[in-house]
Amino acid sequence: MKTILEIDSLKKYYGKQGSRTKALDGITLQVMEGEFLGIMGSSGSGKSTLLNCIATVIEPDSGRIMMKGTEIHSLKGRKLAQYRGREIGYLFQNFELIDNLTGRENIMLPMSLHNVSDGESRKRLSRLASYLEITDVLDKFPSQMSGGQKQRVAAARALIMDPGIILADEPTGALDSKNAKTLMKKLAGLNEDENTTILMVTHDSNAASYCKRILFIRDGRIFHELRRDTPDETQQDFYERILKVMSQLGGGSANVL
Amino acid sequence: MFFELITRNSRRSRKENGLFFTTLLVSVIAFYIILSLSHQDVMLFLKTMESDAVNRLLTMIPVFYVMTLVVLFFLVYFASKFQLERRRHEFGMYLMMGMTRNRLFVLLLAEDIRSSAIALLTGLPAGVLLSELISLVTARLVGLEIIGHRFTMSLDGILLTAAGFFLIKLAAFLILSVKISRREIGSLLAEKPEETKRQHPAPVYGLALFAGILCLGTAYYLAIRGISWYQIGMMGITVLLGFAGTLLFFYGLRYIFNLIIKSEKRDRRLHVFNARQLQENVVRQSGTMAVSSLLILGALCCFGAGVAIAAYYGQSDPHVLDYTFIPEYTDEPNQEQAAADALDTLRKSGLDTEFSELFEMKIGDIRTAEDFENAYSMNEVLEQAAKFPASDDRDVLLNNLGFADFPSLISLSGYNELLRTAGLPEVELGEGEGAVYMDSSFLNDRQAEIMNTVLADRPEVEVGGNTLRLTGKVQTTAVVTDYSITLSFALILPDDAFQYYTQGQYDVYVNGVLDSSVSEKTGLMQAISEMNERLNETGLNYESYLQNMGRQLFYIVAASYITIYLAIIFLIVANTVIGVQFLMNQQKTNRRYKTLIKLGAVYETLCASAKKQINWYFGIPVFAAAVSSLFAVRALFTGLLSSVTRGSAGEMMFISAAMILMLCVIEYIYMAAVKRSSSRYLLTLMAPEREE
Repeated sequence: MKTILEIDSLKKYYGKQGSRTKALDGITLQVMEGEFLGIMGSSGSGKSTLLNCIATVIEPDSGRIMMKGTEIHSLKGRKLAQYRGREIGYLFQNFELIDNLTGRENIMLPMSLHNVSDGESRKRLSRLASYLEITDVLDKFPSQMSGGQKQRVAAARALIMDPGIILADEPTGALDSKNAKTLMKKLAGLNEDENTTILMVTHDSNAASYCKRILFIRDGRIFHELRRDTPDETQQDFYERILKVMSQLGGGSANVL
Repeated sequence: MFFELITRNSRRSRKENGLFFTTLLVSVIAFYIILSLSHQDVMLFLKTMESDAVNRLLTMIPVFYVMTLVVLFFLVYFASKFQLERRRHEFGMYLMMGMTRNRLFVLLLAEDIRSSAIALLTGLPAGVLLSELISLVTARLVGLEIIGHRFTMSLDGILLTAAGFFLIKLAAFLILSVKISRREIGSLLAEKPEETKRQHPAPVYGLALFAGILCLGTAYYLAIRGISWYQIGMMGITVLLGFAGTLLFFYGLRYIFNLIIKSEKRDRRLHVFNARQLQENVVRQSGTMAVSSLLILGALCCFGAGVAIAAYYGQSDPHVLDYTFIPEYTDEPNQEQAAADALDTLRKSGLDTEFSELFEMKIGDIRTAEDFENAYSMNEVLEQAAKFPASDDRDVLLNNLGFADFPSLISLSGYNELLRTAGLPEVELGEGEGAVYMDSSFLNDRQAEIMNTVLADRPEVEVGGNTLRLTGKVQTTAVVTDYSITLSFALILPDDAFQYYTQGQYDVYVNGVLDSSVSEKTGLMQAISEMNERLNETGLNYESYLQNMGRQLFYIVAASYITIYLAIIFLIVANTVIGVQFLMNQQKTNRRYKTLIKLGAVYETLCASAKKQINWYFGIPVFAAAVSSLFAVRALFTGLLSSVTRGSAGEMMFISAAMILMLCVIEYIYMAAVKRSSSRYLLTLMAPEREE
């Protein structure tokens, strides 16, 4: 298996000396091609900072991020735009759909942003739409869609450019359990069938149980790692294991550790 | 602490909303300039000779002032609302932290007063300076001596400016702050929920667009054909149609946007996003956009009307004579002696050396005929002229000629003297011949052409029972300076014939031209002014060119001043409304830009997208106004200008070009300013936020 994303001792500190917050404190990890990796941690543990660093929204203080062998912080101008458009697809907690664009226009937005010709992607759009079951909302505006439909439209938008990796930031955070389940099934299915690489940040153990591997972060460092023993381990068992780690990670059992 | 907060907040508002603050400044300046009109050098000067007209103009100034107040009130209200909306969250925080509503009110009031005071303190001196500059420039242009200028500051102007400005600021503030203070803290703190847009089926918009274009077309037709000018009711209908048409047009514009979005196959550089943004803005604010467009149209019309009026009054006959001395009327049948006396008086007082030319102009009536009603007939001329293809010009000319049954007579020697002075070829007449004189206010170019064609055939006319042949070209150089002696139709006769037909009873006027060395030194106006003073001592009865010039000057100054003033106010208001509206929408929909950033849009892409939207957002109402103005200005010219002064196509083109150029410059400035604030705002969005 090929390494698609490699992160090496990444550091990001906020604030000045004295009142410094270590959002990322030397994190090192790899994501393999076709992997469904979950990152869990409590609020403020640095999950979102990590994702934002990969998405080049913020710049780390030190460390390296290599995407398919290229150091992304050396990217400038067109290459950087290319990276953002082609290599990563972003899925947000609150969907981030533009409310005055229809579903179709929202999905096609990355093409427009990165000036990609859209002959090929129209075919891809209809395939994605039927897989994600959003064909009949393509010409509706976000206000006319349910939360689940919105997130699936957002997923289609993240996938339309066929990126190397999907970065999902709490994708189920704003969904009810039924819709969350549908979405996770679709994501897992994409990972299974299309070998789509997904890096998902979440603190929903239920959603995390769809992952193949989970990294737990605390105070900007990796604290624990879980691997689902496929195909022997059921999702239910994996979920129980996640819960166990979570209980150690947060709240009351902090004293125990 | 409280005061520091006020200072800091008001400084921040000024910085964040430079566009609005500049607009306030300009409105202060505009207020002062219109209010201090009576203190302008030219106005002071004109007051001495055209006091009636000047006073009438000055009594109209309060009307303009109040009108401006009302227009600017809406602007201030609108822009303040935008500013306060932006700070809702901040107000909510103040209230959450335990600030009383009264205290918040005082805080906002103090901020408002502070920023108003700063606008006044910077605007007023600028207004005074600018008004002085205008005064100097106009004085210089019309030849008033520059030394005669004195620095004037209109205290009334300053007080009224300050009062009016504070009045509108406070009124807007009170209405807005009551609205804000009635809100729940929660609703202040929350992001404003999106208004639900009610969409009608597409044909409704298509129909509105069609109806709008229909209304506009009808209004243009009525105005250009001149039908609207027949009666006030028709004018009302035209204006109403135009207004409704513009509103409907903008309302229906979303139909076109839908077509654009649907037709576009390739979506590049956020094309669809831009179109959707524009569509939404147009949908939400079609009314405001229509009103802005109408204001710009108003500005263009004002400018056009100003130019038209100035052209009408400014169109002077070629200036030849500076003075005409009119001998006191005596019972003596022969006025020659009186003229000689006048010349003598001039010589004695040593004033004759100031004139380069002094010559007599003899004008009399036909006295050989007993029946005055049939003293003159020119049937041949009328018949010939009637053969020309039918046109308004021909009919007017025929009508004027029909009344010329008792023409004045002018002696050839005096008239030739005049032509020589004017540097024009002299009239040559043989025995039994006469030339035609017509005042230029009764004759336009086309009519002169008809007359000249008729005269080329040397038609016969009957004068007091005798036959004369008319020859040469129609003469239009004014015989005396006096505006009140206007001869619509007169005959120029050789001196012998003149003596015969007038039977030696005629008026003699002495025309004078000032020595050019005198008038060049101090400017014509000043030279005539000074000469008038000296002539007053001699007791001579005279008319000077100054009266004519003064009248023209007055109308030019008044028309250009007021129309340009209004044009600027309208333009400012329209552009500020459009600009603020855009920025407000941009901030309301900042989430969308943030989403684009998260999807990997770079700063440049966002700025380019916003700039494109700004171009369109300004462009649509401006373009609509420009198109309307093409018709409206033509209609204005139809209504305001008589056929004599209706300019040639070239002149119209020139005026239109100047107007469009002015509009382009102003729009460019505004668009650049809005683009700058938009880019600055987008930059603040680029910084990543921590979201939980």
